[in-house]
Parts: sequence; structure tokens; C-alpha cells
Amino acid sequence: MTEPLLSVRDLRVSYQVGRNFVHAVDGASFDIPRGSITGLVGESGCGKTTVARALTRVIADNATISGGQILFDGKDLAKIPEKEMNALRWRDIAFIPQSAMNSLDPVYTVEYQLGEVLRRRGGMDRKQARARSEELFDMVGIDRGRLTDYPHQFSGGMRQRVAIALALALDPKLIIADEPVTALDVIVQRQILDQLKELQTRLGLSVILVTHDISVVAYICDRTVVMYAGKVAESGTMQQTLTAPSHPYSMGLRNAFPDLQGAASGILTPIEGAPPNLANPPAGCRFRPRCPFALDLCGSEPPVIDVAPGHPVLCHRASESENLRIEAAKTETWMARA
Amino acid sequence: MSNFKAVGSRLLQLAFVLWAVVTILFLMFRLMPGNPMAAYIDPTFTLEQQQQLMAQFGLDKPLWQQYLIYLGNLLQGELGQSFRYRAPVGERIFELLPNTLILTFSSLIVAYAFGILAGAYLAWRRGSWVEQAAIPMVLTTRAMPEFWLGMVLLAIFSFSLGWFPAGGTRNPGAEYSGLLDLYTSRDFLAHLALPAATLAIYSQGLPLLLMRSNMLDVMKEDFVTMARIKGLSNWTVVVRHAARNALLPVMTSFAIAVGYQLQGNVVVESVFSWPGLGRELVNAVAASDYPLAQGAFLMIALVVIFMNLLADLLYAFLDPRISHA
Repeated sequence: MTEPLLSVRDLRVSYQVGRNFVHAVDGASFDIPRGSITGLVGESGCGKTTVARALTRVIADNATISGGQILFDGKDLAKIPEKEMNALRWRDIAFIPQSAMNSLDPVYTVEYQLGEVLRRRGGMDRKQARARSEELFDMVGIDRGRLTDYPHQFSGGMRQRVAIALALALDPKLIIADEPVTALDVIVQRQILDQLKELQTRLGLSVILVTHDISVVAYICDRTVVMYAGKVAESGTMQQTLTAPSHPYSMGLRNAFPDLQGAASGILTPIEGAPPNLANPPAGCRFRPRCPFALDLCGSEPPVIDVAPGHPVLCHRASESENLRIEAAKTETWMARA
Repeated sequence: MSNFKAVGSRLLQLAFVLWAVVTILFLMFRLMPGNPMAAYIDPTFTLEQQQQLMAQFGLDKPLWQQYLIYLGNLLQGELGQSFRYRAPVGERIFELLPNTLILTFSSLIVAYAFGILAGAYLAWRRGSWVEQAAIPMVLTTRAMPEFWLGMVLLAIFSFSLGWFPAGGTRNPGAEYSGLLDLYTSRDFLAHLALPAATLAIYSQGLPLLLMRSNMLDVMKEDFVTMARIKGLSNWTVVVRHAARNALLPVMTSFAIAVGYQLQGNVVVESVFSWPGLGRELVNAVAASDYPLAQGAFLMIALVVIFMNLLADLLYAFLDPRISHA
């Protein structure tokens, strides 16, 4: 495997809440290979959006990157000066937000907002920007005539396409898509995902897709990073993490989601309980209170075990995963805990 | 096309409001106690002479007839005769209106320009010592009564330092060839400075605080965060995205402030002996000069209604979500 485009090592991001610090991301490590779509999954509050935003270093006022490295193209984004980071934004790392409605400025036309990026960040003149905007609209399948429309004149799906066009504007190396289809209905979700996949393949982009929706990941991603309570539970190829997962949490997630293809493959089994409060996380394995396979041993900090090359798992029982998978497939295993 | 329709319906509403104002004004002065002719008719007149005069002014006719005559006259731009000046009300009002408008708009434009810039700046510097010192100061200016502030400014800058004249619009004896000549003269501007400053200091708090709180809200919007993720400069993020959006409600408040200010003018014009509509209104009411008071009220109402229309149109122009809805 060649050098990954992005390599996150032991990343820590904490929010100051009053006098306390909440470690929303508490030592996350993963790689993003070139030319792949990596799904960053986990439930609400697991730190996936915080990781995504930390990569751009535009984080909430009360948040700080308190440790770790973000190695991108030979630079550590966690350390470089703000000026250097700003030069990199959007030219190298672009962002597709969850709600394109709120992330487009309501008082400017879409053309103005594309032009703003193309001219101010891409150094183009008015004419070049105009030509590039038309090209981008062609790429995402919106009529060129709609460039002069305002954001509120587009439908939800169309706005998401505009957001994709914006992200593609300066030919970035990496696109971070934060829940790009969550606000859309399933039909439109699929159209947007197809579009994203097609553009990613054609342009050879690397994409990080942040989502809580396993079916979206299953539909479009090559690789997965599964996060739980501020830590990476496991990461690897789709085959390694979703088809034959090694972390009990990934096994549980798999049981809890239908797939986007629509074929209901049996009963959905939820993971009982709720994720831990990150202001006061449990000692040892953070999934322990909800894990049907927890042992006394799990009260200590779990090790990262490479069950296969490029497939690290944060679990004491990672080596037994083959047996656990058989147990996890049974609904009773998960119900017994409740 | 829909734009024309919207403007058309606004104009129709406006006509209705105008009619309501005119009617209320008509009734108000007729329901007030006292004989409106008392100031005009000498008690030594014979009863016949008195009745003759009443007939001359149409006051012997039933109320509904008076109302129709009044409406008919208004439509022809006829505001009646002032009792006190024995001259057409229209003439007097148009003589005073420019003074009031200049005072109002010069002070409000200064207040809004300053308020918008300072408000945006304070929002941007949220939590700094500058902000912590500035907010109580702004609140203090909001709390000071206009007449008091006017007198303090007079005491300092006119009576002690002698930098500015104390009242009126021009030095005694100064002659000007026309209005434009007068309004652009040093003399007039020196007279304008203190009353305009009083009103400006009093009015800057509203746009400042409004702009600041809007900015703080807008800065939390996703599109501002996105502008940062795009790597746009701080200036572009704060001015082109945050301030541009925060400005919308402030612009509407401008029009409303004009109406509010016209009332405030009554006080400031009196303190500075500024020959404007506000002062005239007070004098007219005191002297029971009902046609003049009625005319002055109507003119002020007209300005307020017009400014509200302007605010609506401006908002549609500034916010594409309204004009393209």
C-alpha cells in the first residue's frame, strides 16, 4: 500500500464546558488512502463530526486540538501555523456540509458563492470563474441557467449538488463530507451518493464521508472507520469492518441497520443502552457497559490489535472475533443484556 | 412581475392608512374641548359677524359635510388657513419641513453609520475589554433624555467654549440667495452641528445594539463557519457574510427610527430653537391653531408612512428571499 493521503495519529480534541473538559475525540488514529471513499461512522456524539472539523481546523470557539498529529501531504495540520493552514483550506481540503440550506449564504446567488471561492481562493478572474462555474454545474448535473439563482430557489437535493460543486471548485485532494445526505429523502440520497461516487472515481478524489447511517456507508464506501465514544473502535476495508467486523460495536451496528438496497434482511436488533457521557467516561473499554461479550478484563484499557494488516481493532477480545461474530448474529445475544 | 404586484398592493395599503390618519386627525381636532374659533374671533364681534365668519370657514355646516369638504380640499393639496398666521398652512409647512428633514436625516445617517460599524466591531471583538467598556457607555447614551443631553451640549460647546451657535439655523442678518446656498453654507452647518449631534448621540444606541446582537447570531450560522472552512479572509467572512446578513433588520429599523425621531425632534427643536415642524406643532397646539397643527401632524404622518414603504422596498432589495419569494 502506498503512503496514505491523510494519517491521523492519536488525535485529541476537547471542549471546554464551564470548568470541565469534555474529550470528544480521545486518541483517534486512522489512515485515509488516496483515491478512496472512507466512511467515518458512529452514533451521535461519538466525535465523528469533531474529527471532521478538526481536519479543517475550523472548530468551535470552546474546542481545542489538545494532542496528536494530522499528517497530510507531509505536513502536520495540527501544528502548522494558521496562515499555512488557511492556504491549504479548500484548495487541498474541501468540505461538504450536512445542511446546504444553512451553509449557503442566503443573500448571494450561487454563482457569486462559487465565484468567491474561485476568485479569492483560486486566483481566477471573473471570466475564468464564470467558465469554471458552468463546468462545475455540468459536472453535478444542474442546468447552467440556474447559476444566477439564490440558494432558497433550489430544492434540498439540488442544494446538496451545489454544495458538491462548491467542494469540487478548486480540485481539492481531499473532500470531507459531513452527513451530506442525512437531511434528504432516500431517493434523493441515492442520486446524490451515485453522483458523489461517480465524481470521486472519475476525478480520483479522496473522500471522507461522515455519517451515522451504515447503509450509506455500505452503499458507497471502500473503507470504514468506526468510532465509539471518542475513540476509533476499528478501521479497515468494507469487507473487514462491515461484512466481517471484529469489534462487538461494529457487529451491533450491522444488526441495527437495514441496507439502502431495500431488501429487508430480517429483524433489526438495536444495541441497548446509550453511549457514555464523555465528561466522565467509564474506565477501560468504553463500550463495555453495552457489550454482550464484556469480561472482567475489559475494565482495563483495551489494546489496539491488528487482526489483519491495515485492520486495527480496539478490543481485548479481537483475536476471538470469529467466534463472537457467530454469537453476535443472534438476536438473543443482544437482548439478554437488556 | 410579482414585484409590481407586491408594490401595488403595498401602495393600496398605504392609501388606506393615509385615509385613516386623515380621518382621525379631522375628528381629533373637532372632539377637542374649546371653540376652535376662539383665537380668531374677537369677542367684541357681533353675533352676526361671528356667524358670518363661522360660515366663511364652513363651521356652520354639519360634521359630515365638513368632512367631505376637508377631504376634497386635501385631495387638491389645500390644507386650509392658519388662524395665527392668517396664511395658507401649506406654505408654512413647506417652509419648515426641509429644516426638520435635514436635522432628522443628517443625525440619523450619522447615528446609523456609526452604530452599524461599531456594532459589527463589538460583535467581532466579543469578550474583549473594548466590548466590556463600550456596552455600558452605549446604554448610558440610550438612557440620557434628549433635552438634557441637548442642554449639556449647549452649555459646553456653545456657552462655555463658544464653538457653536446656540440656536436657530443662521446668524442674524445673514442672507442667502436660495435654499441650496443656505444649506451648504458654513453658517447653517455650524447651527446644525449641536442639535444633530444631540439626536445622533441619542439614536446611535439602537442600531449599534441591534447590529451587535444580529452579528452575534449570524456569526453562529453555518454559512459563516463554511466561509472560514473555505479559507476566506477574516475581512471577507466578517464583512461580506456576517455583516451583510446582520444588516437586514437594522435597515428596517432605520425607517421606523425616522418616525420615532420626528417625535424626538419636537423636544430637540425646542431646545435649540430650530425652526422645524416639531416646534411649530407644539406652538400650534398651544395657540389652538388647529389647521396648522392638523397640517403639521399630517405631514409628519406622511413622512412616517413613506419611510415605512421605503423600508419594505429596501428590505426586498437587500434580501433576495423576499423579492423572489
